[in-house]
Amino acid sequence: MRTRRLAIGGTLLLVIVAVTAIGIGAVALTPGEVIAAIAQQFGISVGSPVSASTSSIVIELRAPRILAAIVVGAALAVAGGAFQSLLRNPLADPYVLGTSSGAALGAALAFLVPISGAAWELGGVQLAAFVGALLSVALVWRIAGIGSGEERIASVLLVGYAVASLLAAALSLVMLTSGANLRAIFGFLLGGLDGASWPRLAAAAIPAVAASLALALRGRPLAAFLLGDEAATHLGVNVQRERKIAIALASLATGAAVALAGLVGFVGLVVPHLVRLMVGPDPRAVLPLSAIGGALLLLIADTLARTIGVPVGVITALIGAPFLLWLLQRARAGYAL
Amino acid sequence: MSAGYELLGARGLAVDLNGTRILHDITLAIEPGERVAIVGPNGAGKTTLMRALSGALPAAAGEVILCSEPIQNLSRETIAHSIAVVGAGISLPFATRVDDLVALGRIPHGRGPSGASAHDRERAAAAIERVGAAHLVHRDVRTLSAGERQLVLIALGLAQETPILALDEPTAHLDLRHRMEIADLLTSLAGDETIMKTKRTIVAIFHELDLVREHFTRVLLVANGTIIGDGTPASVLTPALISAAWGISPERAARF
Repeated sequence: MRTRRLAIGGTLLLVIVAVTAIGIGAVALTPGEVIAAIAQQFGISVGSPVSASTSSIVIELRAPRILAAIVVGAALAVAGGAFQSLLRNPLADPYVLGTSSGAALGAALAFLVPISGAAWELGGVQLAAFVGALLSVALVWRIAGIGSGEERIASVLLVGYAVASLLAAALSLVMLTSGANLRAIFGFLLGGLDGASWPRLAAAAIPAVAASLALALRGRPLAAFLLGDEAATHLGVNVQRERKIAIALASLATGAAVALAGLVGFVGLVVPHLVRLMVGPDPRAVLPLSAIGGALLLLIADTLARTIGVPVGVITALIGAPFLLWLLQRARAGYAL
Repeated sequence: MSAGYELLGARGLAVDLNGTRILHDITLAIEPGERVAIVGPNGAGKTTLMRALSGALPAAAGEVILCSEPIQNLSRETIAHSIAVVGAGISLPFATRVDDLVALGRIPHGRGPSGASAHDRERAAAAIERVGAAHLVHRDVRTLSAGERQLVLIALGLAQETPILALDEPTAHLDLRHRMEIADLLTSLAGDETIMKTKRTIVAIFHELDLVREHFTRVLLVANGTIIGDGTPASVLTPALISAAWGISPERAARF
């Protein structure tokens, strides 16, 4: 089947790009050296012995960042694809329930907290961003009445927009009074993986990967949502329950991704559409392939970002926005987004 | 089928929507292979009746029986294996090919997280073939004409492979020829043997009384929230009942 071929090909490509990307940096390493260093970590010796410095560059410095890009890209693309399906809206992205503004506000407030300590250094800002993201979702959930049986999809989107705007206004106030911390907050808004380390990666990757996997495994009800609530009911889907589960999982994946990487835009919006162009709209094919595509896109964008020294969010926007415009051009030519 | 088997029925059914009683005192029993037209004026409760019979709305009083079981005792999945409902229309958020859409009708038969299997694709293709839409398989559903779109929606319902096919106004917005073609198709579909080894049962909301007389074996006339006529088209579609249901004079009613 086409989906399976694309999944296998995409995964192989992802491995090749990842090994190559680890080799790129101030100290250039060949793919052979990278593979040898990783293999040595698992107690397997490949070719000549690896120097301690090479091992340290590969394992301590670059591997966490590469894996962070893969995890964040995959989680954002899966969450975006899921939101687009379950809200039946092609413009939905992972941040549609105000996650971005909530996370940014949480992070901004954390930058202002004048405490320091080992635990805080490890991930106080990330934790605050994660909590902020989930709090904004909880607010939208409550106001829009998700799961009450009365919610309307359009009102979920509008409530999400309103809550995001409110939180963005609060963020602006915090930024105005943040003084020397303005640069750090701004960095979070542009997105970046500079702070990736093994402990931070592990803390964010566990919820991000678990939620993304669980979403991909629930593709059947999400597929039924394409036809609308009434038709999904007639196809045997418990619409209220499945929508609650899907929104919760997609929000968890987004929150974890945002905590690790800040606000990386366009990956979650554009990748699922690109996948739909290839395999059609069934989320059972779209979500797994989006995970691979999102990981690839963010890995390539982050490698570019650290090579030329700009935030990764700028690169994804530079790639994503023209791509979206191209999709819309095709809409006029017959594809119809 | 054993004696006393009840495919689809209602006993003393009442249905409320937002606290208002829409249907009351509905009692009926539908046998396998029947072609049932639900007719009546706008707002009489036809769609509400269809939604209650398919378990999409709860009963406020009485009960709906599906396959000899009270429908509230059946899981959504079990209901989806017994009755397919073809809605009055569909709006799709993404470009969707006809074959991809019809494959979604296989969702109740799916197992595990992967998409439509080769078998599902085969069944979907057979459903598309059955309604005579094979030439449309690669088209985007959103670019189809109203007549083509209705055929595809019926294929979506057929792909579900249920003994009962329910349709909400399948001839709405269609021209004369397409209305006749849909009515012919429904009659033909009722002759098919379903996976439950009985003839397929058709329940459809219809407005064209001439087509109902020609194509259906039974009519449920709904007016003012209840069934005021139930029987063969000849016995129900009389000037007296038409006049009572639509509130027109018996002289004018005699013309339909």
